[in-house]
Amino acid sequence: MRIVGWTGYAWALGATAACTVAGLAMRGRFDLVNIAMVYLLAVVIVALAYSRGPAIVATVLAVATFDWLFVPPQGAFTVEDAQYLLTFAIILAVGLIISRLKRNVRVQARAQAKLEAAAQTERMRSTLLASISHDLRTPLAVMTGASSTLAERGERLSAEEREALARSIYEQAREMSERVAKLLQMTRLEVGGIALERDWASLAEIAAAVLSRLRERLTGHRVVLELAEDLPLVRVDAALIDQVLANLLENAARYTPPGTVVRVRARREAQELVVSVEDFGPGLPPGDIERVFAKFEHGAAEARGGGMGLGLAICRAIVGLHGGRIWAEKLPLGGSAFRFTVPLDEPPAPPSEPALA
Amino acid sequence: MSTILLVEDDPDIRRFLRSTLAAEGYRVVESPTASRGAIDAGTHKPDLAIVDLALPDYDGRELIREIRKWSSMPIVVLSARHQERTKIEALDAGADDYITKPFGVGELLARVRAALRHAARSPAGEMLVLGPAQVDLQKRRVWRDGAEVRLTPIEFRLLAHLAKHLGMVVTHRQLLAEVWGPSYVEQTHYLRIYMKQLRDKLEADPMRPRHFLTETGIGYRLVMDEET
Repeated sequence: MRIVGWTGYAWALGATAACTVAGLAMRGRFDLVNIAMVYLLAVVIVALAYSRGPAIVATVLAVATFDWLFVPPQGAFTVEDAQYLLTFAIILAVGLIISRLKRNVRVQARAQAKLEAAAQTERMRSTLLASISHDLRTPLAVMTGASSTLAERGERLSAEEREALARSIYEQAREMSERVAKLLQMTRLEVGGIALERDWASLAEIAAAVLSRLRERLTGHRVVLELAEDLPLVRVDAALIDQVLANLLENAARYTPPGTVVRVRARREAQELVVSVEDFGPGLPPGDIERVFAKFEHGAAEARGGGMGLGLAICRAIVGLHGGRIWAEKLPLGGSAFRFTVPLDEPPAPPSEPALA
Repeated sequence: MSTILLVEDDPDIRRFLRSTLAAEGYRVVESPTASRGAIDAGTHKPDLAIVDLALPDYDGRELIREIRKWSSMPIVVLSARHQERTKIEALDAGADDYITKPFGVGELLARVRAALRHAARSPAGEMLVLGPAQVDLQKRRVWRDGAEVRLTPIEFRLLAHLAKHLGMVVTHRQLLAEVWGPSYVEQTHYLRIYMKQLRDKLEADPMRPRHFLTETGIGYRLVMDEET
């Protein structure tokens, strides 16, 4: 702030000095009025480029130098011809008017930007609310209905019916808690409330843990693991990278037909690790591929119990925190690939142990 | 009949845990606060404690430390999601296992049974069967498909320490301190390297381990067979 201010004043001084040089060169060949114009130009430029302070300083300097050096009697601040007082007044007025106009424009631009940001937040909020009310209310309705039936009419139902109702409550509740967890996670990532707990981790271990946890959800698919044998360790927050892989695999399970192959691959490429989840489903929606990473962006299979469209947005935020990239590709033979990178660090010194006795 | 101490402040969670555990034949002692839990742990001499980490009077981790001063009863903690740090601290304070809310009853009962089994086991006295591999902890010998497998001293120490807590979670810090020494607790990559070696030597499919399990961001767990 202060530095910007001082450069303005420096420019005011510099511009006046430049005019003076030009004016001295013009003296004798041009009317005084034209020299006054040169000073006026300097004042206008300073007023346009900087705030009011430098504009006033430039005006005062311009008037003073013009008076001292050019207006007779030269070398004094007295003025013989009263018309030059008008010249001074006009230079001063122009400087002030322009700096004022400039300020108005700036204030308006700022207000405009604020309005746009507010509109954007508002749009986000209404999408969020629409999403929440649809994705959370439906399971809540099922749970309320099914549980009240059990509580109030339970004795009139057969054991099978009771079990079916209880099971649907259980499933809806589980699904809902997944959704709430994703919403919270997205919010946490957005407000920057997540500090990475980086540690040396093995991607093979993370992948195995995710696959075992998602075993039930992936039963319909054939999961193929293709991990390079000598994958280097990565310095990551393993719990978060676990989430990225889990979200990608959940999507593959959700958006591709049962019986198809889902392939998890990881390999080293220069100074990064590239991890891919490839599927052989219907492929990405037409249009901008990047859009799938936006919040609340659903895939086509929403009707089959899709999520809230937060999974990929969460992935992107987590990968970004790690300094990596994430993107989607259409595969040449159909299907799609989601890939992300994790930068590789200098590997740590390995433990030393004497060879087998 | 085993007695289970349930330290949990939420009455609704206590209610469903009580009916589930009672239906399985356990005797349940309920404590709504940590201080009450500390007293009940002394007077009722439970076989296992289930401890919620967020208690109204003081932290569940503190309670675990107190119980650990005089008892080795298995302790299973209940924790919220995305709180790896809290879970690790509870495990380092002496808890044996954790379960993340919300959880299904099947998952909870599996943890309880595994913890009770772990407590009843005579230390190091038996043969471990890990899929294709057998381990004799006393004689320090390991076989796979009938043929003897040579483990390095560190590999064996790691295996033995995991076996000491069979079925339970052991944190990175605990493993590093036990196997390499207290000044190595930050060297997590040692564990990654040695776990891979153990899996390569003893798992049927090292890429999809069934015995040397990873608790991502927390530690490892050795299980005999698909313990349910």
